[in-house]
Amino acid sequence: MRITTNLIYNQNLRAIDTNQGQLSEIQQQLATGKKLLKPSDDPVGASQIIRITEELDKIEQYQRNNALVTNSLELQETALRSINDVVNRARVLVVQSGNGILGSEDRKAIGSEIEQIRDQVLDLMNSQNSSGEFIFAGYQSSKQAFEFNPSAPDKKVSFVGDDGTNQIQISDSVKVQSSSSGKTIFEDVFARLNFGVSNTSGVTLGSAQIDKQGTFDDFHRVNFDTLNPANNQFRFEVLAGDQIQISNVGSGAIISTQPYISGEALTFGGMKIDMQGAPGDSLDISLQRPQKKNLVETLNDMFIALTDSSISSANFVKAIDDSLVGLDNGLEKMALESSSVGARLNIAQSVNASNLDSEIANQKARSSIQDVDYAKASTEFAKQETALQAAFQSFPRIANLSLFNYIS
Amino acid sequence: MIKTADLFSIAKTGVNASSRLLNTTSNNIANINTEGYVRERTEFKSNLTGGVDRGFTDRVLNQFAQNQLRRDITSVGETQAFYDRIVGLDNVLASEANSISGSMTRFFGAIQTAADDPTNMPSRDSVLGEAQGMVNRIRTLGDFMKIKEEELEQQIQDSVTTANALIKQIGDLNEAIAVVSGSSAVDTPSTLMNERDLAIRKLAEFVSIEVRNSPNNDSGLVVNLTSGESLVLADGAFNVFAVGGDPDFTNRQLVLATQFSGNKANTELNIKEQEMGGSLGGLYRYREQVLEPAQRDLGKLAVALADTVNATNRKGLDLDQQLGGNIFDIPGFRGINFPENSDLGLGVQGRFTPNAGNQVSNSDYEVTILSSTLGIPSTLEIQVAAVNSDGTRQFDSDGNPIVENYTVIPGPGNFHNVTGGIQLEFASGTSYVAGDKFLFQPLRNVAQNLELATNRAEDLAFAKPLRVEVNNDNLGDALVRTTTINNSHVDNTFTSIYTSAFDGNGGLQGPGASPSPTFGAPTQIRFTSAENNVYDYQVLDSAGNVITTVEDAPNLENLLGRAKSSGNSPAWPSEFSALQDYPGYDMSLEGRPKPGDTFDFKFNTDGLSDNRNAVEMAELQQNDFVRQSTGDNNNRSTFNESYATIVGKIGAQTANGRIDLEASKVMQVQSSDWYESTAGVSLDEEAANLIQFQQSYAAAARILTTAQTLFDTILAASR
Repeated sequence: MRITTNLIYNQNLRAIDTNQGQLSEIQQQLATGKKLLKPSDDPVGASQIIRITEELDKIEQYQRNNALVTNSLELQETALRSINDVVNRARVLVVQSGNGILGSEDRKAIGSEIEQIRDQVLDLMNSQNSSGEFIFAGYQSSKQAFEFNPSAPDKKVSFVGDDGTNQIQISDSVKVQSSSSGKTIFEDVFARLNFGVSNTSGVTLGSAQIDKQGTFDDFHRVNFDTLNPANNQFRFEVLAGDQIQISNVGSGAIISTQPYISGEALTFGGMKIDMQGAPGDSLDISLQRPQKKNLVETLNDMFIALTDSSISSANFVKAIDDSLVGLDNGLEKMALESSSVGARLNIAQSVNASNLDSEIANQKARSSIQDVDYAKASTEFAKQETALQAAFQSFPRIANLSLFNYIS
Repeated sequence: MIKTADLFSIAKTGVNASSRLLNTTSNNIANINTEGYVRERTEFKSNLTGGVDRGFTDRVLNQFAQNQLRRDITSVGETQAFYDRIVGLDNVLASEANSISGSMTRFFGAIQTAADDPTNMPSRDSVLGEAQGMVNRIRTLGDFMKIKEEELEQQIQDSVTTANALIKQIGDLNEAIAVVSGSSAVDTPSTLMNERDLAIRKLAEFVSIEVRNSPNNDSGLVVNLTSGESLVLADGAFNVFAVGGDPDFTNRQLVLATQFSGNKANTELNIKEQEMGGSLGGLYRYREQVLEPAQRDLGKLAVALADTVNATNRKGLDLDQQLGGNIFDIPGFRGINFPENSDLGLGVQGRFTPNAGNQVSNSDYEVTILSSTLGIPSTLEIQVAAVNSDGTRQFDSDGNPIVENYTVIPGPGNFHNVTGGIQLEFASGTSYVAGDKFLFQPLRNVAQNLELATNRAEDLAFAKPLRVEVNNDNLGDALVRTTTINNSHVDNTFTSIYTSAFDGNGGLQGPGASPSPTFGAPTQIRFTSAENNVYDYQVLDSAGNVITTVEDAPNLENLLGRAKSSGNSPAWPSEFSALQDYPGYDMSLEGRPKPGDTFDFKFNTDGLSDNRNAVEMAELQQNDFVRQSTGDNNNRSTFNESYATIVGKIGAQTANGRIDLEASKVMQVQSSDWYESTAGVSLDEEAANLIQFQQSYAAAARILTTAQTLFDTILAASR
């Protein structure tokens, strides 16, 4: 090929241009530590990096959420454990107060301790978090959750919050309930199930009471009709031949026929009924609708019973029975909630661990896409540098080669 | 052959010839840096009678190399123009400070942080701050594209002006060369031809052209677009580009306008801009393939994002105990009149349908009035056709054009939902005439006009407007699993079919205030039976009226939804069913209710710590809302994926553009070397020539002295 003068200059210029461009690109990679400087350097990688970066940012946020959830769950756990501890103490005191040898002064002493426990439980149920919110008040956390009014005629403890519970996202797929409503834990506690005598016809009633609470609870659960009160009436009718027939007043269905000797106590469904009657006489009892009673209410009732010096011993025994069942039901409900809180803490912990794992995996992936391999880049840099130097050195020598230099 | 010439005349022609050769060589050396200069050679023939003729100087040019060079210049022009434009977009997307993705993640992260403690004002403020930051990022990118679009229009305009000047120049040179060639048949007018070749090469940078010798076999050249349209004719008449835009005057299009002299009617020819090659073709290709789709992709992301966040916020309850409003203002758009419309003052406004951000696709729409019917109310029959950003029709998977017909009631305020998540208002009433056409480009200017609708952090609706109260006397252990709010549109006059049961005054519509004459909105679920794992329940209003009864529900999911579909005695009120989504809320329970258990919907008064709506808002980040493509394909992607797609797409286009550019440059280097190797001046060669011609000159001069000596000898001999 014929080489013209412009060709020589152009070629050299082009070589220097190209080398300088490549050198500057590698220099930029070395300076920033990234090999992916513009989306066009690796379009697929660039969009992957956007996704991975989002993933990493989300994980960071989830870890922050996780710490917050853990904090608030631990706060609830602490409150529940404290309540559990003092209520257990109260339960011991209630059992102790049933001891017949205690005098009224002793009872009063126990009563004042129960009173303190009552106040402590109330205080714990109104626990606040670091920003002053009542943690058991549901959505209306700026209001005190439970109010206690000793002079109220009926219920002395009232819940002013709501059922609201919040959830917090701790991974793309896992949301953890971060709060519990005091209504579910403390208000939704069943009081002792009971029955009453609604009618006697001909019989002389000695006493009618619950003998075995567990058996009665089962009987109540099976037979209580929430809609039709008539179905909750049961008739004990004395039959000829030393028998007694138990039937449902509402439906008329005969439930059972049992041997019966007038004057001897009859036990049926956990109920112990002491009555005298001739064939044809009957006794009607009715299952009471289940009541719900706050722990503080139960403790308060016990406190009143303990400090009431004029209380009859039958009523006192009843008060002890009521409060034992009430406290047990309350403890059970709290145990349930505690285990649910614990389970949620476990979830938070395991999600935390898996978030950390995927954080590392994502960081690795991102680094492999965008970070520069220094060894490779610096070798490349040295190579380009040599090439550029060669171009610089050879250019003037070629340019100086001209026939005109030799014509004198 | 007897040479009749004498030594003197031979020597004279020899000296003349050598002198000419030296002239040519000197001219070559002098013009070594002249752009477009083609080296010349002078060639001689011997004279019949002896001596040498006066010679003929011509350019040394390889026509094939020149044609190849011109084609390669065109392809470098195209790839260079394309790459120079797209690299700007590539750079702006590379910047982390401008990343929309990062700002979206921070926005949703701020919502999550706020959801952790919904009453915390600083974290609410930070949500608004991040929202503003996100809007700014979107606007920055939108503005950038808008500026690029304006620059592009300017560049097209400038290129057209230059190309026109070149076309005119070529025409003029054709004429001049014809004149010069006619007057002197001895030498070719090489300077003029060099200039013409240079002008043609420069024109080739702008458009792809074909050059042919004039059919009349004279010295003229004919220049055509590769697609066939003539630009320059041999006799100098020429056509020029004109820019126009139809109907969108901001969107320049090219036409060829003839400039006939005399009374021949001029005409305009449309050109396929993308196929014309050269830098003009590159610019159009950039506009059609990169900039306009990217603008629409970005707009689509902005609308989907803003609309879904708005929709979620509207379903919530803000810190002021009011139903939430919009957080973002999504700009509307205007129909562009086609020039042939009956009245260019007619207007059609459009806006994005609330809650339909996930329907928005990056189509433009051509709306045609099919017919107009007077009556009460008057109606318009319209056709909405999806078109691409370059105005061509879009087709569905079966190859049919995407076209939908609607009957609308014109008039101010009457917005009609049409395809693609937009709604149109034909405000000019009955003034529209069949055949009127409007072009809508909904997404073109959305990104740079997106705004925050509020700057009060209290307006963020993190709570839900309802909570379900479990009656404390319930004997079952059923609990609320979810409370869903689908619609909180307040309209106590029920004119809108989107009316919900919210009365806008902190409550639900009671009896007399609801659409039904007999019932209020449902507020209570009461179970009547829960045996054998099937449930019977009643739906009651706030006054305790039984709205409907459901029997044998197999589960406790969406209790009102089931009541709506299968409630009887009485059935779900027809006035409720007539509305789109009434009452707009629902609940699902878990556990086992007992007969007599009740669950009440209560307005979430004072429910300030409620974060349910905030959690839902934060969850938007992971859900798929942005429509991926047009047509039947209903695949959607997350906001972030959609942004990643924009970046990946432009990255890939840039990378391809770079490869194309490099390839065409290599081609151009080769062909320019080829061309240069024949047409270029080599100083070494000229130096050698200089010596050679100097010697031949000396030799010829020597003939003269020899002749002189001979003459003297003869003279002396005869003395």
